[in-house]
Amino acid sequence: MPWKSDIQQGFRDIAPLAVGVAIYGLAFGLLAAQARMDGLQTGMMGALVFAGASQIVVVERIVAGAGAMTAVLAGLALNLRLLMMTAALREDLSARPWWQVMLGVHLTSDENWALMHATRRQGHAVGYWYLVGGGLCLLLVWVSSTTLGAVLAQAMPEPRALGMDFAFTAAFIAILRGLWRGPRADLLPWLISGGAVVVLVTVVRIEPSWALVLAAGLGAGFAGVRGNA
Amino acid sequence: MPDFGLVLLMLAGGTFAIRLGGYWLGRRLPATGGWAQGLSALPGCLILSLVAVQLLQGGPAEWGAALIAVLIALLTRNLPLTMLAGILAVLALRAVV
Repeated sequence: MPWKSDIQQGFRDIAPLAVGVAIYGLAFGLLAAQARMDGLQTGMMGALVFAGASQIVVVERIVAGAGAMTAVLAGLALNLRLLMMTAALREDLSARPWWQVMLGVHLTSDENWALMHATRRQGHAVGYWYLVGGGLCLLLVWVSSTTLGAVLAQAMPEPRALGMDFAFTAAFIAILRGLWRGPRADLLPWLISGGAVVVLVTVVRIEPSWALVLAAGLGAGFAGVRGNA
Repeated sequence: MPDFGLVLLMLAGGTFAIRLGGYWLGRRLPATGGWAQGLSALPGCLILSLVAVQLLQGGPAEWGAALIAVLIALLTRNLPLTMLAGILAVLALRAVV
């Protein structure tokens, strides 16, 4: 069964990255507990949303006092990148039954999507089932680590006392390193976004959740207009 | 605190719609031009904005720890290591600053 061995290979290849996801997951569980979510709720969120960064943003915004709509919009804006990622999967997904398309897009995350493309560039003919195998591994690790984090949090000190509140900032900085495509592509859009955040939050004084969506739109919009010129 | 069920429904439904919508769009839209360039620049711009918001809400200890995290990310490109360095740095700096 070629699809079986592809699932297994995808599962195995993603394991080192899954360690990072587990650390993320434990930390997110702590944050979820701050938002008064229990283990079951945290696990359900992990399985149904399966987009770690957006879950962190949404729960972080809620802990900071934002309303449901504001928090969810900030998280969904962060997930807009998934639109590009699944768009790039069209050749792997077309001509598949509808349930395989739905499974494939739901299991698409930064890690297994990037790994599939990287493995391909090294000359291995991996595709849909490799992506699914990696996604299943990440889903299992994400759901179990976030649930564990939320359950253990009740017997743990306050996250800030552990420095865990900063873990997400550090994680996003590491992710930024991976997202950086070089000065020609990213320097000006990133400067515009960063500058816009500072002005919108400190001068215009709008709610930070909206500031980050607006600032991201300004930077990306500039990149698009520049690219079209 | 907002209602958990409402947040979960909106976030899970919205995220799945984005994932499925991307596949739907990918079959229809050109892969070149300004529209595609703007969207491909979006993840970096958004995460940078998020870090900027978080750092604005922090103080000197967070700013110093962020500087250390940037250094470790540049040197190692390793997510867990960058997180560990950031956590240790912020703990040390909060004790001092």
